[in-house]
Amino acid sequence: MKNKKNPHEADLRGTLISVLTVGILIAVMWFAVYAMYVAL
Amino acid sequence: MILHSERGPLAGRRTSSAVAATASASERKLALWNIGFAYTAFLIGTLCGLIQVFMRNEMIELPAWLDYYQVLTVHGVTLALVYTTFFIYAFLITGMSRSLGSFGPKVARWSWIGFFVAAAGTVWATIEILSGRASVLYTFYAPLKASGWFYVSLALLIIGTWIISFALIAHYVKWRKANPGVLSPLFAFMTISTLAMWIIACLGVVAAVVFMYIPWAFGWVDTINVELSRTLFWFFGHPLVYFWLLPAYMAWYLVVPKLLGTKVFSDSLARLSFLLFILFSIPVGLHHQLTEPGVADFWKFLQVTLTFMVVIPTLMTAFSLFATFEISGRQKGAKGLFGWVGKLPWNDIRFTSLFISMVFFIPGGAGGIINTSFQLNELVHNTLWVVGHFHITVGTPVAMTFMGISFWLIPYLTGRTLTKTTKNLAFVQIISWSVGMLFMSTAQHVLGLLGAPRRTQHSNYSDHPTVLGWFDGFFSNTSTLALGGIILFFSAMLLMVIVFRLWLIEPRSEKGDLYAEFPIAESDASATPRWLENWWIWIGIAVALILLAYTFPITHMIQDAPPGSKGFINW
Repeated sequence: MKNKKNPHEADLRGTLISVLTVGILIAVMWFAVYAMYVAL
Repeated sequence: MILHSERGPLAGRRTSSAVAATASASERKLALWNIGFAYTAFLIGTLCGLIQVFMRNEMIELPAWLDYYQVLTVHGVTLALVYTTFFIYAFLITGMSRSLGSFGPKVARWSWIGFFVAAAGTVWATIEILSGRASVLYTFYAPLKASGWFYVSLALLIIGTWIISFALIAHYVKWRKANPGVLSPLFAFMTISTLAMWIIACLGVVAAVVFMYIPWAFGWVDTINVELSRTLFWFFGHPLVYFWLLPAYMAWYLVVPKLLGTKVFSDSLARLSFLLFILFSIPVGLHHQLTEPGVADFWKFLQVTLTFMVVIPTLMTAFSLFATFEISGRQKGAKGLFGWVGKLPWNDIRFTSLFISMVFFIPGGAGGIINTSFQLNELVHNTLWVVGHFHITVGTPVAMTFMGISFWLIPYLTGRTLTKTTKNLAFVQIISWSVGMLFMSTAQHVLGLLGAPRRTQHSNYSDHPTVLGWFDGFFSNTSTLALGGIILFFSAMLLMVIVFRLWLIEPRSEKGDLYAEFPIAESDASATPRWLENWWIWIGIAVALILLAYTFPITHMIQDAPPGSKGFINW
């Protein structure tokens, strides 16, 4: 029954890193345009 | 663990087991009519898109009876309003029938009436636009004035969608009465969330069209309060984006796990994220009007803050999806941090199309946060950046999800199958759409950042030397934009071929054919709080937030209104 364990017990390290990466990507894009705004 | 298809001691807190295996013939026919209408609009809209990129590059000249702004208006209305709306209702009608059982005669009758009213409004609006009496773009901003009948036809389109929406809500209410104390299936819950948001959002545009545009356009009043009309439009216009997006989210939440052979990651999380979209998608329209005078900064700032709150359900969704991928991959034996990526079913076009659409949503979402940032909006407002943003949000995550749904929904409705040949064509179509969009939207974003305006045929400021310098790079070039547009048109035509094949040519499906099923994943609702489906609470909070965000600005716009503007007619 290993494969049917509760999702809250699942190994979700990859998910955590993936979502953090998405968040960082969004923040980087925001700061890139902010830098352009300040420079212009 | 109690799934919606199982029985157990927490039966009172689970979703019903009464899930229909298939939609009935009547609902299939109605859904197919909606899809047919949607793809007719898609064909017209994409052709207009191709004409636009040629015109921007001065590669073609239109006949005297047709101009750029007519083409632009048809492009926006047919793709952003018509293709999306009719496809969404096809998806919702089929899914509601599949989840809650066949429609009763009243629901079926009113769904058909709603379809015909919306279709009549659409055809009429298209005639008004093509006749040159409504070149006001899809936002129909005052003081640009169209023929009064254009606004009447738009009202019909909205009324038609309301009729279908209330028919679907009646179907849901009947089901809940028959299943007291039971949480509805997740598909039905998400449908009702989407429709509740749509009905509330439309109140703004209905008020503007009925009480402002129609009396003004027919000459019953001389002037229009421009600020108020735009505010009421954006009360509707921003949640309109979520009306497109939420059905795509439904596919991501419910179809993707089924394709991966697993279940929805968290029933509670999925329901809560949809409720948060109701709360934070409506009282935020002023972030589209940040450059407009007449609204105090405080109210703009408040609505910008509420807009940012959408990040919460968006990242909840991202987490849920990544978790679904990872759990599925690990169930198939994946090792390491990212071993599950290789276990995803990349050769299944139903999955790959949805996955690519999600990837496009990452820069799309980032662009949205930039657009709504008070100061950064100054940099991108009314530039081609916004057009690029539109194309990598609605034009790809939403549209490509709808394409991915079409690959199984049409076979499901017609009883045909997706053969290997058509599947290969579908891969070419999805990849070419991605490549074309990458070229076109990147060029639009870059040119917009440099200052190229939108809503104009030409963006070269009469060949000013500074402006000509904008167009030197590979991505800062209207030729790249045109190249992307041509690839997209090729992809769109390929999609039409696929739709045609799935509708009329492909062989009949056999029992057990995966491509002729409506894939809905199981969702474990055993731990889901019942107050998540108490609509009085959530719609009450939504109304409170709307009153908080809009009462003072709108009161101010009415009480301290300027004299108003006469109409400007370009026909």
